[in-house]
Amino acid sequence: MAQARSLPQSPAHRSPALPVESWRTRIKTSVLGYGLILPSLLVFLTFFYGPAIFLGYIAFFHWNIFSANSKFVGFANFITLFHQPIFWQSLLNTAYYVVVLVPVTALLALALALLLREGLNRGRGAISRAFIFLPHVTPVVATSIIWVWIFNPQFGLANTVLHFVHLPSLNWLESVHWALPSVMIYTLWHSVGLYTVLFLAGLASIPRSVIEAATTDGAKGWRMFKRIFWPMLGPITFFVIVLASINTMQTFSQIYTLTGGPHGGAGGPAFSTTTDSLLIYQTAFLYLHFSLASAMSIILFLLILILTLVQKWVADRYVFYR
Amino acid sequence: MPKIFRLRTWLLIVLPVLFFIPIYWTFVIAVGYHGAAYHLPPVWVPLFHWEPVLYVLTHTHWLRYVVNTVAITAATIILVLLTSALAGYALAEIPFKGHSLYFLLVIGVMMLPQQALLVPQYVVLFHLHMLNTYAAMVVPFAANSSSIFLFRQFFKKVPVSFHEIARIEGVSTLRYIFRVAVPLAKPAVATSILLTFIAAWNQFQWPLIMTNSPQIQPIELALSHYMQTYQANWRELASAALLALSPILIVFAFTQKHIVQAVAGGDLNAKD
Repeated sequence: MAQARSLPQSPAHRSPALPVESWRTRIKTSVLGYGLILPSLLVFLTFFYGPAIFLGYIAFFHWNIFSANSKFVGFANFITLFHQPIFWQSLLNTAYYVVVLVPVTALLALALALLLREGLNRGRGAISRAFIFLPHVTPVVATSIIWVWIFNPQFGLANTVLHFVHLPSLNWLESVHWALPSVMIYTLWHSVGLYTVLFLAGLASIPRSVIEAATTDGAKGWRMFKRIFWPMLGPITFFVIVLASINTMQTFSQIYTLTGGPHGGAGGPAFSTTTDSLLIYQTAFLYLHFSLASAMSIILFLLILILTLVQKWVADRYVFYR
Repeated sequence: MPKIFRLRTWLLIVLPVLFFIPIYWTFVIAVGYHGAAYHLPPVWVPLFHWEPVLYVLTHTHWLRYVVNTVAITAATIILVLLTSALAGYALAEIPFKGHSLYFLLVIGVMMLPQQALLVPQYVVLFHLHMLNTYAAMVVPFAANSSSIFLFRQFFKKVPVSFHEIARIEGVSTLRYIFRVAVPLAKPAVATSILLTFIAAWNQFQWPLIMTNSPQIQPIELALSHYMQTYQANWRELASAALLALSPILIVFAFTQKHIVQAVAGGDLNAKD
């Protein structure tokens, strides 16, 4: 995702290397092209586009992977789903998770980027940037292990810190109210570096002349941010929010690992951390209700699409594109 | 005011330390004395007792998991380089029919929400008899949109005359790609290797769903099972986590600049 944005938007390919002379050459060119794209095309079709189309099929059938008799049931899977309280609970949990985490992540990333920018300009700060970015590339399960221990009510660092500032200790992952916020803290730690780096790229792309002109006019601090950085960072802020929303709506590994516990029943306590992707996983691969899970997948698909379109609509109104 | 008292300077030191504490603490618990995890207030000095790490490597199946992960990662990297070089070259140089359609297909893959596709992907793997095989963890990731784009960008910079000369000399396209174009696109190769390494090494959910036999599972999945079974065994758990972490840490230590820029998609230093 992050890669795609960076690619220069070059128009159609430049003058073809192979001169197009006759239909024979043209066919030869095309055959060569198809041969070269074939390996990646096969992978994309078999493992991504094929399944994406197949998803629509499973969701409208009463369907079981292990038996041949599947039958068309229309929207029955969706209706069953809407009668399950746990489905609504998972949507609520996801909404809570996304609505809190996305703005917090974006704001913190922006603050960190502004902080690091100054350092980078003076040749320092590259090391700080590396340390803030590092968690993003660490494997989720391996680092979740230590966070489970950090959140341990008795011996964990989290409560030690709370104790140090004279706040009451919390039960973190074992409490219905704090389990999801604990996952948010982990995700914030794990992902904020990614968005910080994206903001840094955005800051680096602001023309030097603009900043110099503003400085000459006496802008600094908050005014500088409000008048120069914030409007100039509009497009990248939009991108960060879209990317963070898509990523947080699909959080899986850390929820599975942090809330798993010795019994493996992730999503607890009392379903307080059961988000949509976790419920899809459990429905499909624990309870083997593939059709229900597919219906849920389609809903997730649509939710992500709608959210992105709404964000695009807002961005078109308020973001200043150079 | 002297520089040392400025809030910004302090934040630039304190924040990175905060971000690093969890990783450092994994290390402290892994190589500390037996009850280090349970010590209050927390211990901060590692004791360099390597027994738990050695125990995990020798008395459990961890070596096997490490080998699995290395094999999966290496195979994925090689395949990604092959498919990306070929498709990137086709997109950069060959005006075949359907060129722009394929371009859209490659972008589109990045737009598909991964979590929503897992069920049908499982069914596809089931019908291909790929469930519970190494291939299940490699082949679906053998092609990668961002690598294809990266190679395309670099191949576009290669002067047209190179290709013309090669054609006149009778060099085949494949030979030209791997002997001339790819060596000229070294940064693309490096970036693809790094990003694929990180993604493949950190795989968790995919193998969790697509495999079930312990013999072939990669380290992250093994770690998750281990965690659910032996949650009280903090020293061994931390040691195992350290084994999964260290390759990433080592690679990152040497290539952090490259990785950060690859993820950000450009130069991060302000142009002044």
